Amino acid sequence: MAKNLKEILVDNSNDLVHMWLEEVAEKQKEVTNSAISQDLFENTNREFVNIIFGSVEKESLTSDLDSFTERVINLGWPLSYLTDGLQLFKRVAIEFLIEHEELDVSVPKVLRHVDELVNPIINQLVNEYSGSWENTVSLQRVALQELSAPLIPVMDNITVMPLIGTIDTERAKFIMENLLDGVIKHHAEVVLIDITGVPVVDTMVAHHIIQAAEAVRLIGSTCILVGIRPEIAQTIVNLGIDLSKFPTKSSLRKGFTTALEMTNQMIVQTNSEEQTIEELIDSLDRSEQS
Amino acid sequence: MRIPILKLHNYLLISIQIDLDDQTAIQFQEDLLNKIHQSGATGVVIDLTSVDIIDSFIAKVLGDVVTMSDLMGAKVVLTGIQPAVAVTLIDLGIHLNEVTTALDLEQGLIKLRQELEE
Repeated sequence: MAKNLKEILVDNSNDLVHMWLEEVAEKQKEVTNSAISQDLFENTNREFVNIIFGSVEKESLTSDLDSFTERVINLGWPLSYLTDGLQLFKRVAIEFLIEHEELDVSVPKVLRHVDELVNPIINQLVNEYSGSWENTVSLQRVALQELSAPLIPVMDNITVMPLIGTIDTERAKFIMENLLDGVIKHHAEVVLIDITGVPVVDTMVAHHIIQAAEAVRLIGSTCILVGIRPEIAQTIVNLGIDLSKFPTKSSLRKGFTTALEMTNQMIVQTNSEEQTIEELIDSLDRSEQS
Repeated sequence: MRIPILKLHNYLLISIQIDLDDQTAIQFQEDLLNKIHQSGATGVVIDLTSVDIIDSFIAKVLGDVVTMSDLMGAKVVLTGIQPAVAVTLIDLGIHLNEVTTALDLEQGLIKLRQELEE
């Protein structure tokens, strides 16, 4: 009996495909996606329905399905396209079977049978999709981790840590570890923490930064907090956070100057403009004399 | 177990190379203060590079030693605190605010000289 139902579906595949394509076209009108060309859409639809039939016929998942899903994922089509398509296929198949005159099976059985045929495909698709999403998320997490706490040794004894983006507890911990290890590794006397790129400084972020700065002081280095924007200064004072224990500066440039002073260094401009002009005049004098 | 205290000109150098227990810490505190009294040293460097664990009691003793030495006219610098130790201390809420720190022995001596000259 179950065999019969499947056979009826397979035998009338042409009619079913036709009905399904019509339904899908109808559906597409509702949610028109301008980025997808009509031809591509129709071709994909045709391929999709063939794959559905392939799977239904064999009552097992084919490798065609895998490759097709992979392609659709790569194209960036939404999952709803595939699930909608399969739901429509289910509806079309059920309607067709119920209206089929040679049929003597009760309606619930038809429903159940069609479900059994189509559900594995839906599950497979959803799994593939969520797998690809999870993959993307984990890749991005790794990328974020790599970007989250870079430490740049700018000069002897001076190191800069530019922070960009929101800081949560996990990241703060990572920042602290990286900061302390980096200070030891680069033998930095002064570390500049640049928070220009941190959009919000709330009590928690401030707490983490203060802790990091204190830890840096304990291992024998000095921490300067730079890049404090006006709005951040306002928030810090309004929240009653005490940052007076370590030096703060508005910009990295000022912080760097302070750092140079603290390490008894200075930047000297060689060959200043004045000198160049003097040399020029000298050479002119000489040419006149000769 | 006693921790050796070395004298170098006006300075006293201490390198702690074992994990301190309470008894040793107290003993060290007494030894150091006596040594300062004897030698009239003006600066002390305590190097903690080889110390992996500092609990709250040891931290308190270290803080006390610094304050006491200060009272006796000797400036103390702690050097070479390990990152893990620093994080633990901060987590425990021990900030050692009054204590001067330096990255290593060399920096410690430089800082000491700077502070004593001022």
